[in-house]
Amino acid sequence: MRLRINWSYILALTVSIAAALVIGAAILLISGYDPLKAYAAMLSGAFSNARHIGDVLEYAMVLCLCGVACDIGSRVGIFNVGGEGQLLLGAIVAAQIGVALNGLSAWIVIPVAGLGAALVGGLYALLPGWLKVKHRVNEVITTIMLNNIAEFVCEYLAKGPWKNPDNNIVAGTGNLPQTYWFTRLATGSNLTTVFFVATGMTILTWYVMQKTATGYEMRLTGDNPRFARFAGLKTDRIVLIAMLVSGMMCGLVGMFRVYGAEHIYKASISNDYYFEGLMVAMIAKYQVLPTAVISVLFAILKIGAQGMETAAGVPNQIYLIIQTVVIFSMAAESGIVSDIKRRMADKSARLAARQRAKEGAANE
Amino acid sequence: MNEILSQVFSAGTFTQMLRSATPVALAAMGGSMTEHAGIMNIGMDGMILMGALIGVLGSYVIGSAVGGVAAAVLFGILVGLFFALFVVKLRSDEFIIGCALNIFASGFTAYVSRAVFGLSGTSGYEIDYMRPIEIPLIKDIPFLGEIISGNTALVYVAWLLILVMWAFVYRTPYGFWMRASGEKPETLRTAGISPEKMKWLSSVLCGMLCGLSGAYLSLGYLNGTFVEGMSASRGFIAFACVIFAAANPAKAYLAALMFGFFDAIGLRLQNYISSDLTSAIPYAITVIMMVYVVVSKERKRRSLQPRHDAAAAQPPAEG
Amino acid sequence: MQETVIRLEHITREFPGVLANDDVSLEVRRGEVFALVGENGAGKSTLMNIIYGIYPPTDGSVYIRGKKVETFSPRNAIELGIGMVHQHFMLVPSFTVAQNIVMSREPRRAKVFFDNRRAEEITRQLVKEYGLSVDPSARVQDISVGVQQRVEILKALYRGADILILDEPTAVLTPQETAELFRVIRHIIREKNMTVILITHKLGEVMAISDRVGIMRQGRLVGLSDTRDITEREIASMMVGRPVLFDKLERSGEPGETMISVEGLSVRDNRGLVAVDGVSLEARAGEVLGIAAIEGNGQSELLEAITGMRPAISGRVRIRGRDSTGLEPGQIRALGLAHVPEDRLATGVDPLADVSDNLLAGRQRDREFNAAGGLRLRRSSIERYASEVYRKFDIRGAGLHGAVGSMSGGNMQKVVVAREFSHETPVLVISNPSRGIDIGAIEFIHTAIIEKRNEGCAVLLSSADLDEIFRLSDRIVTMYEGRITGEFKPDEITKEEIGYYMTGSRRKEELAPNETAD
Repeated sequence: MRLRINWSYILALTVSIAAALVIGAAILLISGYDPLKAYAAMLSGAFSNARHIGDVLEYAMVLCLCGVACDIGSRVGIFNVGGEGQLLLGAIVAAQIGVALNGLSAWIVIPVAGLGAALVGGLYALLPGWLKVKHRVNEVITTIMLNNIAEFVCEYLAKGPWKNPDNNIVAGTGNLPQTYWFTRLATGSNLTTVFFVATGMTILTWYVMQKTATGYEMRLTGDNPRFARFAGLKTDRIVLIAMLVSGMMCGLVGMFRVYGAEHIYKASISNDYYFEGLMVAMIAKYQVLPTAVISVLFAILKIGAQGMETAAGVPNQIYLIIQTVVIFSMAAESGIVSDIKRRMADKSARLAARQRAKEGAANE
Repeated sequence: MNEILSQVFSAGTFTQMLRSATPVALAAMGGSMTEHAGIMNIGMDGMILMGALIGVLGSYVIGSAVGGVAAAVLFGILVGLFFALFVVKLRSDEFIIGCALNIFASGFTAYVSRAVFGLSGTSGYEIDYMRPIEIPLIKDIPFLGEIISGNTALVYVAWLLILVMWAFVYRTPYGFWMRASGEKPETLRTAGISPEKMKWLSSVLCGMLCGLSGAYLSLGYLNGTFVEGMSASRGFIAFACVIFAAANPAKAYLAALMFGFFDAIGLRLQNYISSDLTSAIPYAITVIMMVYVVVSKERKRRSLQPRHDAAAAQPPAEG
Repeated sequence: MQETVIRLEHITREFPGVLANDDVSLEVRRGEVFALVGENGAGKSTLMNIIYGIYPPTDGSVYIRGKKVETFSPRNAIELGIGMVHQHFMLVPSFTVAQNIVMSREPRRAKVFFDNRRAEEITRQLVKEYGLSVDPSARVQDISVGVQQRVEILKALYRGADILILDEPTAVLTPQETAELFRVIRHIIREKNMTVILITHKLGEVMAISDRVGIMRQGRLVGLSDTRDITEREIASMMVGRPVLFDKLERSGEPGETMISVEGLSVRDNRGLVAVDGVSLEARAGEVLGIAAIEGNGQSELLEAITGMRPAISGRVRIRGRDSTGLEPGQIRALGLAHVPEDRLATGVDPLADVSDNLLAGRQRDREFNAAGGLRLRRSSIERYASEVYRKFDIRGAGLHGAVGSMSGGNMQKVVVAREFSHETPVLVISNPSRGIDIGAIEFIHTAIIEKRNEGCAVLLSSADLDEIFRLSDRIVTMYEGRITGEFKPDEITKEEIGYYMTGSRRKEELAPNETAD
């Protein structure tokens, strides 16, 4: 059953978040912090000034694009778990293009870097897509393996051929010349003009998936590929294109991280961000707009937790705990709900049967 | 060239191989259990990480490494139960739960470690760890003795477990049931055995073995230190081993040795080739293996001969 | 009279939205073959699953040898001596025959180890005792369905069953295998005084082997009789609820030019075996060509190859004169072909999408439904079109925006037919159109098919239901083991006679390809 976003979903999400905050508070209490103070610090950490709000939006952008990339795949029935690798490869290629083309106009370098990042990410996603379509090789496993391979290859490039001339940086590409940096929207924060591009990408994806014949065809393919093929669709091609686009998006996220925030490729360009984005997409039932909304929620948690660490001394990892509790309860939601529904249906059926039996006996 | 070869095939390489392989092998044997029960378990990385922390914590609190290992295993049981609660009982997506478990573990271990040991971690704390065991007589055998003797207890436990887990899966009724619960659960249900119970069991076994793996990592490999994120994707390597070995625990151990070998030569050959590239090799092999298995099955299917002679079935030309 | 071994009292079982069993009471006696017949979805399997403890009844009680069953579980049923051979075999493909047979009651060594040698010995003993030959050490994935069924029966016997429930046992068997099965059934009843309950919808088998027969319709037990006191015809009319005499269908027009032709087509099935072996046939405009065959004789693969869902090994298919061999389903549809598939849930619908989206499938790129040069779907036109079709084909249930997966079989089939028949296509390929749906929907669909024929469509119809074939076809070909065994006009031959061709015991040798090409 495809899950729709409705009131019961929103209720479940609210309850999940509340439960997560309560569990978080309990953990804080046990480890000797004042939960109220900690949460207050978290709020102010996320909203107290433009820099923090900027960081929240930047992180929300990363989560959202990763989540949307995952949405695109799962809409056609393929699970792109390899976004992390695609993101890293996109990032390092974009960074190296910036370094190698140093001196050219930003109008040339930035599009070339974007293209390079999208291409390498897309192709890296195409491989597992092709294996799945052509040979039915499980894409989840291959993409996980490819993540690790990409990680090592990037590490090798950043330590070897593309290494930063500065010996203090052990693993990193050269620094990106400042002329290519995206323009900051708030001083001190990572939020740059690319945020608008990301918003555009998200809205465009939503529109295509929701309003066009292409989106309709994607949905058929994801729901029942045999039927889609039966109805005349070239399902293999649809899956491959979706995978390509999903990978391109991940590659671009890598580029955005380099040109917007880090200005160098190093391992910290992504700390399993794609996996967090994937969690967001899952909670949002692989729908684009909810993915965007939940991205913002999780970004508030994360950036707020960093503020909480500085202000109240609470280890910021508490946010990972809170976030995963939300995920666990949302993942369990459909199981719990269907269990309750089944029990209720059984009970009412039994009552109805008794009733019928009684009436039947009375009639005879 | 000779120099390279003698470096690669020195006893030191194989000792290192064994050390790197053991945590992966322990987790992979656990992963074989869930794989047989039809659960795709990619949460092993988190299970290992939590095992590593609880091992150190247990050793610190109890004051003995053995206590630490026991704590890690017990906690592993809890983690296995927790995993099964969602995946088996509530029928959540096993992939999502696995991912969430990994993220949860990284948050949980970092939080607890900082809350207990402070920002700088376990350094400066007196934590009992597992010492290498010298085996008399065997240690005097040239070359082999150096490799076989002088490991921590869990390396030998892992050897014992190869036999135990293999026999469990392929030589006991419970192993048959567990495999049936993954391959065709209704079969088990109509035989009067609950496939869910077997899935719970596999999940708990996996939790225990991953806990053991984590304990080896912190108490054996790193002499009683916990480092944030110290599982370093070993859970995914273990997962690759499971797939590679088609969930046979003995073969999974061998697959883990292969990973250990590449890890060891990567360290030894640093001067000649980047260790990052050698580390990537096992993952590439896993992908190639998967493709090979699928393609060869396809080919086998296609090669089946037609029932009747194909030429005779052709109708004569029209007219 | 022998003792009563099973007594059911007022059994009712409800699933969400479906009343599968409605106040069923019956008794089964020791030493008899009790046949339970009924159409698909009449509730036979549900009733048997309750006896076997797969799920409890919503209401009512079950007594086994006079004792009321309190806990419904397969384990309990096995202990009470009930064995069940399910329609879909409950065997683990990668285990050996012996390992499957002893499952849950394994012989052990040292209390914990599986004793494989003993398991194979036990199997050999069972084989000797019951005369069912199987190889104990063969893997189940490597043996034929007929042998798999023997394994299932041996499994039940090993567990000490003396009441054996067989759910549609002959659906996958060849005639020889069926005869063999009946021999075994007679053997265990005579020698062991066991009880057999046979679920089936093949009336010939009921007459051949059963002592008593119970007839179910729409969840209720509507008839119960000694087999010798009832005729096949009477059972049939009870099964469907009225005499099986459909109104005559109006036919008009003469066959025109050849619309679809197949030459020497060979196709593999999912296991890689050659299922269609050099088949040639053709259908003309304004005619229904019926393919009569017992399940699993290549007719499904043949139609799938024609519609592009399955690749062919050799041979040619032409649709309206154009070579369509090896084309994708979409390209073949573009040549003017529509297809009502055999398995509607797996192939014919998107069960998660709503009715209107299901009706749209295949036409989503039509100019009519797109605005802004294909950049936006025109929801209002789709809505209008869908509601029109919805009314025309008398679809009921979920409404235009209900998920198709939650509809009844008949309405789901109407959605499929509505979509396929609304495309303007001169060639229709139809597979088992009335399987598992109610009489009213069958009548509707039959009428629609003949209407299409009268409009000048070429219809290729495959059905396991001979009545349907006879009622709709202008010409009939029989298929056996992937080959055409005969071609007839429906008024030239009786159902009994055509059965010989469907089982391969007769073959029209004069029907060489030369002649069909005329």
